[in-house]
Amino acid sequence: MNAEIQIDSYLTALRLHLGPLTIAEREEIVKEIAAHVRDSAEESGTSVEAVLARLGPANVLAAQYRDGLLIRQASRSISPLVLLRATLRLATKGVFGILVFLVGVFGYLIGGGMVLTAMLKPIFPANTGMWFDGEGHFMSSGVLFPPPGSQAHEVLGVWYIPLALIVGSLTLLFTTWAIRTSLAVSQRWQSRL
Amino acid sequence: MAKTRGVIDEADQPDRWEAQLRKGAVEMAALASLWRGRLYGLEIIRFLENHSRLALAEGTIYPILSRLKAEGLLTSEWVEAEAGHPRKYYSLTETGRQRLRVMAEAWMSFSSGLTELLQPVFEVQETTR
Repeated sequence: MNAEIQIDSYLTALRLHLGPLTIAEREEIVKEIAAHVRDSAEESGTSVEAVLARLGPANVLAAQYRDGLLIRQASRSISPLVLLRATLRLATKGVFGILVFLVGVFGYLIGGGMVLTAMLKPIFPANTGMWFDGEGHFMSSGVLFPPPGSQAHEVLGVWYIPLALIVGSLTLLFTTWAIRTSLAVSQRWQSRL
Repeated sequence: MAKTRGVIDEADQPDRWEAQLRKGAVEMAALASLWRGRLYGLEIIRFLENHSRLALAEGTIYPILSRLKAEGLLTSEWVEAEAGHPRKYYSLTETGRQRLRVMAEAWMSFSSGLTELLQPVFEVQETTR
């Protein structure tokens, strides 16, 4: 009887920590783990307690399922929020994850920033653009308040809009691709012993 | 920079290196255990224990099986058993068989190359004995 209580409390904890999965997925996992515990205890004649100890804490087991799902969903997603959430999780697991997360954050900031400046150009035409100094050296680009001084001249004019849109969009696309590829690669690395 | 340091850290710890090596092999081993037919989770764990040195933490195999299934490499079915509860049996899909063939070929060519490379290390050991 005691064994049944132990199994039930383990499965309850597992179910709880599997929260983000669909009910059907969750129940399937719980059913499979329940069968494992009963089979394993019966087969080896060991106590349910020992079998549960070998399975590891319910929250750790559930986290492995959740991570798998999170990364799987993200490697097919194009939503920056979903992708960054998955890389944030990856970042807790090692240097590779931290690098991917940083690349993701910078990529989205730079790409998103450029697209934003393209949209601001019609509103603040004098403050938005790309400036060079008298000797032809690059000074600055983007949206500046106040605009650079008289020695600077803006070189792109209205062409700033399509150019910033294209470069910004390409940066966003590249960032999305880089994160998705890294997540797909990491799936293989994440299988733990 | 940080990445290089991480690699060196891992190489400094043989146990950790071996653990990484095993991790890389688990997925292939799980697929290989199903080559001859369907098995349920505990049978896969026992199969890997008996046929390889991959002693798995028991909870580890289930999330991996779930992922392999999501990737379309495995299918599963619940089968009623005399034990009184149903068991979830896994089998390879055609994609899974193809993937395993590719993995096995890559593994064999990789390991035979390395075996050759490592040969001198064993020769030195024998002569020093």
